[in-house]
Amino acid sequence: MTLWLADKRARVIGDAPAIVAALAAQGAHLVTEGDVDVLVHVAWPPPARPAHELGHDEWRATLDAGLDRRFHAARSLADACRARGTGGTVIFVGAPEQAWGSDHAAAAGALGNLTKTLGVEWARDGIRVNTVLTSSKGETLGNLVAYLASDYAAYVTGAVTGVGLDDR
Amino acid sequence: MTVPTHHIVPEPPPFSTPPYPADVFAGQTVLVTGGGSGMGLAMATAFAQGGAKVAVMGRRIERAQQGAAQIAAIGVPVHALSCDVRSGPSVAAAFDEVEQVLGPVSLLANNAGANFPVLAENISVNAWNAVTRIAIDGTFHCSTELARRLIARGQRGAIVNNSAQYIWTGFPGDAHSAAAKTAQATMTKKMAADWAAYGIRVNAVAAGFFPHASSTGGDAPEAIAPLQAMIPAGRTGRIREFGWLSAMVCTPILGQLTGQVIVQDGGESLRRSLMLPDFIPPRERAGGPWGWQ
Repeated sequence: MTLWLADKRARVIGDAPAIVAALAAQGAHLVTEGDVDVLVHVAWPPPARPAHELGHDEWRATLDAGLDRRFHAARSLADACRARGTGGTVIFVGAPEQAWGSDHAAAAGALGNLTKTLGVEWARDGIRVNTVLTSSKGETLGNLVAYLASDYAAYVTGAVTGVGLDDR
Repeated sequence: MTVPTHHIVPEPPPFSTPPYPADVFAGQTVLVTGGGSGMGLAMATAFAQGGAKVAVMGRRIERAQQGAAQIAAIGVPVHALSCDVRSGPSVAAAFDEVEQVLGPVSLLANNAGANFPVLAENISVNAWNAVTRIAIDGTFHCSTELARRLIARGQRGAIVNNSAQYIWTGFPGDAHSAAAKTAQATMTKKMAADWAAYGIRVNAVAAGFFPHASSTGGDAPEAIAPLQAMIPAGRTGRIREFGWLSAMVCTPILGQLTGQVIVQDGGESLRRSLMLPDFIPPRERAGGPWGWQ
Protein backbone atom coordinates (compact mmCIF):
# COMPACT_ATOMS: atom_id res chain seq x y z
CA MET A 1 0.00 0.00 0.00
CA THR A 2 1.17 3.50 -0.80
CA LEU A 3 2.13 5.55 2.25
CA TRP A 4 -0.30 8.46 2.59
CA LEU A 5 2.26 11.02 3.72
CA ALA A 6 5.53 10.05 2.06
CA ASP A 7 7.68 13.16 1.55
CA LYS A 8 5.39 15.34 3.72
CA ARG A 9 6.80 17.32 6.61
CA ALA A 10 4.41 17.44 9.55
CA ARG A 11 4.37 19.31 12.83
CA VAL A 12 2.13 18.35 15.72
CA ILE A 13 1.50 21.00 18.35
CA GLY A 14 -0.09 19.63 21.53
CA ASP A 15 -0.47 16.24 23.17
CA ALA A 16 -1.63 13.43 20.88
CA PRO A 17 0.58 10.31 20.75
CA ALA A 18 -1.86 8.42 18.50
CA ILE A 19 -1.72 11.20 15.91
CA VAL A 20 2.08 11.35 15.99
CA ALA A 21 2.21 7.57 15.58
CA ALA A 22 -0.23 7.55 12.66
CA LEU A 23 1.54 10.36 10.81
CA ALA A 24 4.89 8.61 11.24
CA ALA A 25 3.45 5.26 10.17
CA GLN A 26 2.22 6.88 6.94
CA GLY A 27 5.68 8.17 6.13
CA ALA A 28 5.48 11.76 7.36
CA HIS A 29 8.71 13.43 8.45
CA LEU A 30 7.89 14.91 11.87
CA VAL A 31 9.54 18.21 12.68
CA THR A 32 9.26 20.74 15.47
CA GLU A 33 10.24 23.84 13.52
CA GLY A 34 10.82 25.15 10.03
CA ASP A 35 8.69 24.69 6.91
CA VAL A 36 5.95 22.07 7.08
CA ASP A 37 3.28 20.75 4.73
CA VAL A 38 1.03 19.55 7.53
CA LEU A 39 0.17 21.31 10.77
CA VAL A 40 -1.83 19.42 13.40
CA HIS A 41 -2.87 21.57 16.33
CA VAL A 42 -4.18 19.66 19.33
CA ALA A 43 -5.66 21.31 22.42
CA TRP A 44 -7.70 19.53 25.07
CA PRO A 45 -9.89 21.61 27.38
CA PRO A 46 -9.44 22.05 31.14
CA PRO A 47 -11.88 20.29 33.52
CA ALA A 48 -15.48 21.44 33.07
CA ARG A 49 -16.90 23.90 35.57
CA PRO A 50 -20.23 25.76 35.65
CA ALA A 51 -19.97 29.12 33.87
CA HIS A 52 -20.76 31.15 37.00
CA GLU A 53 -17.78 29.61 38.78
CA LEU A 54 -15.31 30.49 36.04
CA GLY A 55 -13.11 33.51 36.54
CA HIS A 56 -12.35 35.65 33.53
CA ASP A 57 -8.71 34.59 33.60
CA GLU A 58 -9.72 30.93 33.37
CA TRP A 59 -12.24 31.72 30.63
CA ARG A 60 -9.58 33.60 28.68
CA ALA A 61 -7.00 30.83 29.11
CA THR A 62 -9.35 28.29 27.50
CA LEU A 63 -10.13 30.62 24.61
CA ASP A 64 -6.45 31.40 24.18
CA ALA A 65 -5.48 27.71 23.97
CA GLY A 66 -8.59 26.52 22.12
CA LEU A 67 -8.99 29.33 19.61
CA ASP A 68 -6.52 32.24 19.50
CA ARG A 69 -3.27 30.26 19.36
CA ARG A 70 -4.77 27.92 16.80
CA PHE A 71 -5.71 30.80 14.52
CA HIS A 72 -2.24 32.30 14.74
CA ALA A 73 -0.55 28.93 14.14
CA ALA A 74 -2.74 28.27 11.09
CA ARG A 75 -2.05 31.74 9.73
CA SER A 76 1.69 31.23 10.13
CA LEU A 77 1.49 28.02 8.13
CA ALA A 78 -0.60 29.69 5.44
CA ASP A 79 1.81 32.63 5.24
CA ALA A 80 4.76 30.28 4.84
CA CYS A 81 2.98 28.16 2.23
CA ARG A 82 2.08 31.21 0.17
CA ALA A 83 5.62 32.56 0.47
CA ARG A 84 7.11 29.40 -1.01
CA GLY A 85 4.26 28.82 -3.46
CA THR A 86 3.06 25.46 -2.20
CA GLY A 87 -0.15 24.13 -0.73
CA GLY A 88 -0.49 22.78 2.79
CA THR A 89 -3.00 21.55 5.30
CA VAL A 90 -4.12 22.31 8.83
CA ILE A 91 -6.00 19.94 11.11
CA PHE A 92 -7.35 21.21 14.40
CA VAL A 93 -8.07 18.55 17.02
CA GLY A 94 -10.01 19.06 20.21
CA ALA A 95 -12.88 17.91 22.40
CA PRO A 96 -16.58 17.86 21.41
CA GLU A 97 -18.37 21.20 21.68
CA GLN A 98 -20.81 20.35 24.45
CA ALA A 99 -18.82 17.77 26.40
CA TRP A 100 -17.00 20.25 28.68
CA GLY A 101 -17.55 23.73 30.10
CA SER A 102 -19.00 26.83 28.49
CA ASP A 103 -15.46 28.12 27.97
CA HIS A 104 -14.70 25.12 25.79
CA ALA A 105 -18.12 25.29 24.09
CA ALA A 106 -17.30 28.83 23.01
CA ALA A 107 -13.82 27.93 21.82
CA ALA A 108 -14.89 24.79 19.95
CA GLY A 109 -17.86 26.48 18.28
CA ALA A 110 -15.67 29.36 17.19
CA LEU A 111 -13.05 26.91 15.95
CA GLY A 112 -15.59 25.00 13.86
CA ASN A 113 -16.80 28.04 11.99
CA LEU A 114 -13.23 29.35 11.71
CA THR A 115 -12.39 26.03 10.03
CA LYS A 116 -15.19 26.46 7.50
CA THR A 117 -14.10 30.03 6.83
CA LEU A 118 -10.37 29.43 6.41
CA GLY A 119 -11.03 26.32 4.32
CA VAL A 120 -12.68 28.53 1.70
CA GLU A 121 -10.56 31.64 2.19
CA TRP A 122 -7.39 29.66 1.52
CA ALA A 123 -8.81 27.10 -0.92
CA ARG A 124 -7.11 28.52 -3.99
CA ASP A 125 -3.80 28.65 -2.15
CA GLY A 126 -4.09 24.86 -2.04
CA ILE A 127 -4.36 25.04 1.74
CA ARG A 128 -6.97 22.79 3.31
CA VAL A 129 -8.32 23.31 6.84
CA ASN A 130 -10.29 20.67 8.76
CA THR A 131 -11.23 19.94 12.36
CA VAL A 132 -11.82 16.78 14.39
CA LEU A 133 -13.74 17.25 17.64
CA THR A 134 -13.78 14.05 19.66
CA SER A 135 -13.41 12.38 23.03
CA SER A 136 -11.52 9.55 21.34
CA LYS A 137 -7.75 9.63 21.55
CA GLY A 138 -7.01 6.27 19.95
CA GLU A 139 -5.89 4.77 16.68
CA THR A 140 -8.94 5.84 14.68
CA LEU A 141 -8.32 9.49 15.58
CA GLY A 142 -4.70 9.14 14.49
CA ASN A 143 -5.64 7.53 11.20
CA LEU A 144 -8.42 10.02 10.52
CA VAL A 145 -6.03 12.92 11.03
CA ALA A 146 -3.43 11.24 8.81
CA TYR A 147 -6.09 10.80 6.12
CA LEU A 148 -7.11 14.45 6.35
CA ALA A 149 -3.45 15.46 6.11
CA SER A 150 -2.94 13.42 2.96
CA ASP A 151 -3.72 14.07 -0.70
CA TYR A 152 -6.42 11.41 -0.46
CA ALA A 153 -8.43 14.14 1.27
CA ALA A 154 -7.65 16.67 -1.46
CA TYR A 155 -11.38 17.41 -1.84
CA VAL A 156 -12.06 17.67 1.91
CA THR A 157 -11.76 21.17 3.30
CA GLY A 158 -13.76 23.16 5.80
CA ALA A 159 -15.03 19.90 7.29
CA VAL A 160 -15.73 19.47 10.99
CA THR A 161 -16.14 15.88 12.07
CA GLY A 162 -16.02 13.65 15.12
CA VAL A 163 -15.03 10.02 15.65
CA GLY A 164 -17.57 8.45 17.99
CA LEU A 165 -21.26 8.71 18.79
CA ASP A 166 -21.37 11.69 21.11
CA ASP A 167 -18.65 13.72 19.49
CA ARG A 168 -20.80 16.32 17.78
CA MET B 1 -14.47 31.32 -16.33
CA THR B 2 -11.49 29.11 -15.84
CA VAL B 3 -9.34 28.63 -12.75
CA PRO B 4 -6.35 31.04 -12.94
CA THR B 5 -3.05 29.25 -13.40
CA HIS B 6 -1.50 30.72 -10.25
CA HIS B 7 -4.14 29.04 -8.07
CA ILE B 8 -3.11 25.76 -6.46
CA VAL B 9 -5.55 22.88 -6.97
CA PRO B 10 -4.81 19.77 -4.87
CA GLU B 11 -5.41 16.43 -6.61
CA PRO B 12 -5.81 12.93 -5.13
CA PRO B 13 -3.33 10.11 -5.87
CA PRO B 14 -3.93 8.03 -9.03
CA PHE B 15 -6.58 5.30 -9.28
CA SER B 16 -4.03 2.51 -8.96
CA THR B 17 -3.08 3.57 -5.39
CA PRO B 18 -6.11 3.28 -3.08
CA PRO B 19 -5.55 4.42 0.52
CA TYR B 20 -5.93 0.95 2.02
CA PRO B 21 -4.41 -2.51 1.46
CA ALA B 22 -5.76 -4.68 -1.37
CA ASP B 23 -7.02 -7.22 1.20
CA VAL B 24 -8.59 -4.86 3.75
CA PHE B 25 -12.05 -6.31 3.00
CA ALA B 26 -10.86 -9.85 2.20
CA GLY B 27 -13.57 -12.44 2.83
CA GLN B 28 -16.26 -9.78 3.24
CA THR B 29 -19.23 -9.08 0.99
CA VAL B 30 -20.51 -5.59 0.29
CA LEU B 31 -23.93 -4.76 -1.12
CA VAL B 32 -24.04 -1.50 -3.06
CA THR B 33 -27.44 -0.09 -3.95
CA GLY B 34 -27.55 1.80 -7.21
CA GLY B 35 -24.13 0.31 -7.81
CA GLY B 36 -24.33 -0.05 -11.55
CA SER B 37 -23.32 3.48 -12.46
CA GLY B 38 -22.19 6.85 -11.19
CA MET B 39 -21.37 7.32 -7.53
CA GLY B 40 -22.58 3.83 -6.63
CA LEU B 41 -20.23 2.30 -9.16
CA ALA B 42 -17.41 4.37 -7.67
CA MET B 43 -18.27 2.99 -4.22
CA ALA B 44 -18.46 -0.57 -5.54
CA THR B 45 -15.13 -0.13 -7.33
CA ALA B 46 -13.47 1.19 -4.18
CA PHE B 47 -14.69 -1.76 -2.12
CA ALA B 48 -13.40 -4.08 -4.85
CA GLN B 49 -10.00 -2.39 -4.65
CA GLY B 50 -10.00 -3.44 -0.99
CA GLY B 51 -10.74 -7.06 -1.91
CA ALA B 52 -14.45 -7.22 -1.07
CA LYS B 53 -16.87 -9.47 -2.89
CA VAL B 54 -19.32 -7.05 -4.48
CA ALA B 55 -23.08 -7.27 -4.99
CA VAL B 56 -24.20 -4.62 -7.45
CA MET B 57 -27.86 -3.86 -6.99
CA GLY B 58 -29.98 -1.64 -9.24
CA ARG B 59 -33.51 -0.98 -10.35
CA ARG B 60 -32.54 -2.12 -13.85
CA ILE B 61 -30.65 -5.40 -14.11
CA GLU B 62 -28.95 -4.31 -17.34
CA ARG B 63 -27.27 -1.36 -15.66
CA ALA B 64 -26.31 -3.45 -12.63
CA GLN B 65 -24.76 -6.04 -14.94
CA GLN B 66 -22.78 -3.38 -16.81
CA GLY B 67 -21.36 -2.08 -13.53
CA ALA B 68 -20.65 -5.58 -12.27
CA ALA B 69 -18.69 -6.36 -15.43
CA GLN B 70 -16.42 -3.37 -14.77
CA ILE B 71 -15.88 -4.42 -11.16
CA ALA B 72 -15.17 -8.04 -12.10
CA ALA B 73 -12.22 -6.73 -14.11
CA ILE B 74 -10.58 -5.74 -10.80
CA GLY B 75 -10.53 -9.43 -9.95
CA VAL B 76 -13.13 -9.89 -7.21
CA PRO B 77 -16.29 -12.02 -7.23
CA VAL B 78 -19.32 -9.98 -8.23
CA HIS B 79 -23.05 -10.50 -8.50
CA ALA B 80 -25.54 -8.24 -10.23
CA LEU B 81 -29.19 -8.17 -9.24
CA SER B 82 -32.23 -5.94 -9.53
CA CYS B 83 -34.30 -4.71 -6.61
CA ASP B 84 -36.64 -1.86 -5.75
CA VAL B 85 -35.26 -0.67 -2.40
CA ARG B 86 -38.64 0.91 -1.53
CA SER B 87 -40.01 -2.58 -0.82
CA GLY B 88 -38.93 -4.29 2.40
CA PRO B 89 -39.77 -7.83 1.17
CA SER B 90 -37.84 -7.19 -2.06
CA VAL B 91 -34.82 -6.02 -0.09
CA ALA B 92 -34.98 -9.13 2.13
CA ALA B 93 -35.14 -11.34 -0.96
CA ALA B 94 -32.20 -9.50 -2.48
CA PHE B 95 -30.08 -10.09 0.63
CA ASP B 96 -31.03 -13.79 0.48
CA GLU B 97 -29.89 -13.97 -3.14
CA VAL B 98 -26.61 -12.14 -2.50
CA GLU B 99 -25.77 -14.24 0.54
CA GLN B 100 -26.47 -17.44 -1.38
CA VAL B 101 -24.11 -16.41 -4.19
CA LEU B 102 -21.37 -14.44 -2.42
CA GLY B 103 -21.71 -15.30 1.27
CA PRO B 104 -22.85 -13.29 4.31
CA VAL B 105 -23.11 -9.54 3.72
CA SER B 106 -21.32 -7.41 6.33
CA LEU B 107 -20.86 -4.15 4.41
CA LEU B 108 -23.53 -1.94 2.87
CA ALA B 109 -23.36 1.19 0.74
CA ASN B 110 -26.69 2.99 0.50
CA ASN B 111 -26.36 4.96 -2.69
CA ALA B 112 -29.60 4.37 -4.61
CA GLY B 113 -31.22 7.67 -5.37
CA ALA B 114 -32.74 9.86 -8.00
CA ASN B 115 -32.09 13.56 -8.38
CA PHE B 116 -33.10 16.16 -10.96
CA PRO B 117 -33.67 19.91 -10.90
CA VAL B 118 -37.35 20.83 -10.70
CA LEU B 119 -39.36 23.63 -9.14
CA ALA B 120 -41.18 22.58 -5.99
CA GLU B 121 -44.56 23.41 -7.52
CA ASN B 122 -43.78 21.14 -10.45
CA ILE B 123 -42.79 18.06 -8.47
CA SER B 124 -45.41 15.43 -9.17
CA VAL B 125 -46.58 13.17 -6.39
CA ASN B 126 -44.85 10.33 -8.19
CA ALA B 127 -41.58 12.24 -8.44
CA TRP B 128 -41.73 13.30 -4.79
CA ASN B 129 -42.42 9.73 -3.72
CA ALA B 130 -39.69 8.31 -5.93
CA VAL B 131 -36.90 10.64 -4.82
CA THR B 132 -37.75 10.67 -1.12
CA ARG B 133 -38.64 7.02 -0.72
CA ILE B 134 -35.71 5.55 -2.66
CA ALA B 135 -33.30 7.45 -0.41
CA ILE B 136 -35.19 7.49 2.90
CA ASP B 137 -37.20 4.25 2.90
CA GLY B 138 -34.58 2.46 0.81
CA THR B 139 -31.83 3.30 3.28
CA PHE B 140 -34.11 2.21 6.12
CA HIS B 141 -34.99 -1.11 4.51
CA CYS B 142 -31.45 -2.02 3.46
CA SER B 143 -29.81 -0.90 6.72
CA THR B 144 -32.30 -2.65 9.00
CA GLU B 145 -32.21 -5.82 6.90
CA LEU B 146 -28.42 -5.91 7.24
CA ALA B 147 -28.52 -5.07 10.94
CA ARG B 148 -31.02 -7.84 11.74
CA ARG B 149 -28.86 -10.38 9.90
CA LEU B 150 -25.62 -9.21 11.54
CA ILE B 151 -27.17 -9.18 15.03
CA ALA B 152 -28.60 -12.67 14.50
CA ARG B 153 -25.17 -13.95 13.42
CA GLY B 154 -23.27 -12.03 16.10
CA GLN B 155 -21.24 -10.46 13.31
CA ARG B 156 -19.86 -6.94 13.06
CA GLY B 157 -20.41 -4.72 10.03
CA ALA B 158 -20.31 -1.26 8.54
CA ILE B 159 -22.68 0.91 6.55
CA VAL B 160 -21.93 4.01 4.50
CA ASN B 161 -24.62 6.34 3.21
CA ASN B 162 -24.24 8.63 0.21
CA SER B 163 -25.56 11.97 1.43
CA ALA B 164 -24.99 15.39 -0.13
CA GLN B 165 -23.25 18.69 0.56
CA TYR B 166 -26.51 20.67 0.59
CA ILE B 167 -28.02 18.88 3.58
CA TRP B 168 -27.49 21.72 6.07
CA THR B 169 -28.44 24.63 3.81
CA GLY B 170 -31.41 23.50 1.75
CA PHE B 171 -31.23 23.28 -2.02
CA PRO B 172 -33.64 25.65 -3.81
CA GLY B 173 -34.74 24.03 -7.06
CA ASP B 174 -34.29 20.52 -5.70
CA ALA B 175 -36.71 20.22 -2.78
CA HIS B 176 -37.25 16.47 -2.96
CA SER B 177 -33.55 15.68 -2.84
CA ALA B 178 -32.88 18.31 -0.18
CA ALA B 179 -35.34 16.53 2.11
CA ALA B 180 -34.18 13.03 1.19
CA LYS B 181 -30.44 13.58 1.62
CA THR B 182 -30.78 15.24 5.02
CA ALA B 183 -32.92 12.36 6.24
CA GLN B 184 -30.09 10.02 5.26
CA ALA B 185 -27.62 12.06 7.29
CA THR B 186 -29.74 12.32 10.41
CA MET B 187 -30.70 8.64 10.36
CA THR B 188 -26.99 7.85 10.02
CA LYS B 189 -26.37 9.30 13.47
CA LYS B 190 -29.31 7.60 15.13
CA MET B 191 -28.76 4.18 13.57
CA ALA B 192 -25.11 4.40 14.62
CA ALA B 193 -26.32 4.84 18.19
CA ASP B 194 -28.91 2.05 17.87
CA TRP B 195 -26.34 -0.47 16.66
CA ALA B 196 -23.12 0.60 18.39
CA ALA B 197 -23.52 -2.18 20.96
CA TYR B 198 -23.57 -4.75 18.13
CA GLY B 199 -20.39 -3.50 16.49
CA ILE B 200 -22.24 -2.16 13.47
CA ARG B 201 -20.87 1.21 12.38
CA VAL B 202 -22.86 3.72 10.32
CA ASN B 203 -21.33 6.77 8.64
CA ALA B 204 -22.15 9.03 5.72
CA VAL B 205 -20.25 11.01 3.14
CA ALA B 206 -21.91 14.34 2.33
CA ALA B 207 -20.63 14.47 -1.19
CA GLY B 208 -20.19 17.53 -3.36
CA PHE B 209 -20.18 17.60 -7.12
CA PHE B 210 -18.65 14.44 -8.60
CA PRO B 211 -19.55 14.46 -12.30
CA HIS B 212 -20.02 11.08 -13.93
CA ALA B 213 -21.53 9.75 -17.11
CA SER B 214 -25.07 9.62 -15.71
CA SER B 215 -25.09 12.88 -13.72
CA THR B 216 -27.01 15.93 -14.93
CA GLY B 217 -24.81 17.38 -17.67
CA GLY B 218 -22.65 14.27 -17.83
CA ASP B 219 -18.88 14.17 -17.38
CA ALA B 220 -17.63 15.20 -20.80
CA PRO B 221 -14.70 17.68 -20.54
CA GLU B 222 -16.72 20.47 -22.16
CA ALA B 223 -19.57 19.91 -19.69
CA ILE B 224 -17.28 19.92 -16.66
CA ALA B 225 -14.97 22.77 -17.68
CA PRO B 226 -17.34 25.63 -16.75
CA LEU B 227 -18.04 24.02 -13.37
CA GLN B 228 -14.47 23.97 -12.06
CA ALA B 229 -14.14 27.66 -11.35
CA MET B 230 -17.28 27.90 -9.20
CA ILE B 231 -15.89 25.55 -6.54
CA PRO B 232 -13.43 26.85 -3.91
CA ALA B 233 -11.15 23.83 -4.42
CA GLY B 234 -10.80 24.83 -8.09
CA ARG B 235 -12.27 21.63 -9.49
CA THR B 236 -15.14 19.21 -9.28
CA GLY B 237 -14.54 16.00 -7.35
CA ARG B 238 -12.74 13.03 -8.85
CA ILE B 239 -15.11 10.10 -8.59
CA ARG B 240 -12.34 7.84 -7.17
CA GLU B 241 -11.78 10.07 -4.13
CA PHE B 242 -15.49 9.79 -3.28
CA GLY B 243 -15.39 6.00 -3.67
CA TRP B 244 -12.26 5.73 -1.56
CA LEU B 245 -13.60 7.81 1.34
CA SER B 246 -16.85 5.82 1.28
CA ALA B 247 -14.99 2.52 1.49
CA MET B 248 -12.40 3.88 3.90
CA VAL B 249 -14.96 4.70 6.62
CA CYS B 250 -15.90 1.00 6.56
CA THR B 251 -12.32 -0.26 7.07
CA PRO B 252 -10.70 -1.19 10.40
CA ILE B 253 -8.31 1.71 9.71
CA LEU B 254 -11.14 3.90 11.01
CA GLY B 255 -12.55 1.15 13.20
CA GLN B 256 -13.99 3.42 15.89
CA LEU B 257 -15.57 5.88 13.47
CA THR B 258 -19.36 5.88 13.71
CA GLY B 259 -22.27 8.28 13.52
CA GLN B 260 -20.25 10.73 11.42
CA VAL B 261 -21.27 12.71 8.36
CA ILE B 262 -18.10 13.73 6.56
CA VAL B 263 -18.41 16.56 4.06
CA GLN B 264 -16.32 16.07 0.91
CA ASP B 265 -17.19 18.94 -1.39
CA GLY B 266 -14.11 21.05 -2.04
CA GLY B 267 -15.67 23.78 0.11
CA GLU B 268 -18.60 24.18 -2.27
CA SER B 269 -21.29 24.28 0.43
CA LEU B 270 -19.31 26.92 2.36
CA ARG B 271 -19.20 29.61 -0.31
CA ARG B 272 -20.42 32.77 1.30
CA SER B 273 -19.94 36.47 0.78
CA LEU B 274 -21.55 39.50 2.33
CA MET B 275 -22.27 40.76 -1.16
CA LEU B 276 -23.67 38.31 -3.70
CA PRO B 277 -25.22 38.57 -7.16
CA ASP B 278 -28.91 39.53 -7.14
CA PHE B 279 -31.14 36.77 -5.86
CA ILE B 280 -33.16 35.21 -8.66
CA PRO B 281 -35.92 32.80 -7.62
CA PRO B 282 -35.37 29.33 -9.09
CA ARG B 283 -38.53 29.77 -11.18
CA GLU B 284 -37.08 32.80 -12.98
CA ARG B 285 -33.59 31.44 -13.67
CA ALA B 286 -32.80 31.36 -17.38
CA GLY B 287 -30.98 28.04 -17.15
CA GLY B 288 -33.62 26.26 -15.08
CA PRO B 289 -33.84 25.75 -11.30
CA TRP B 290 -30.13 24.97 -10.98
CA GLY B 291 -29.26 27.92 -13.19
CA TRP B 292 -26.33 26.53 -15.13
CA GLN B 293 -27.75 24.19 -17.75
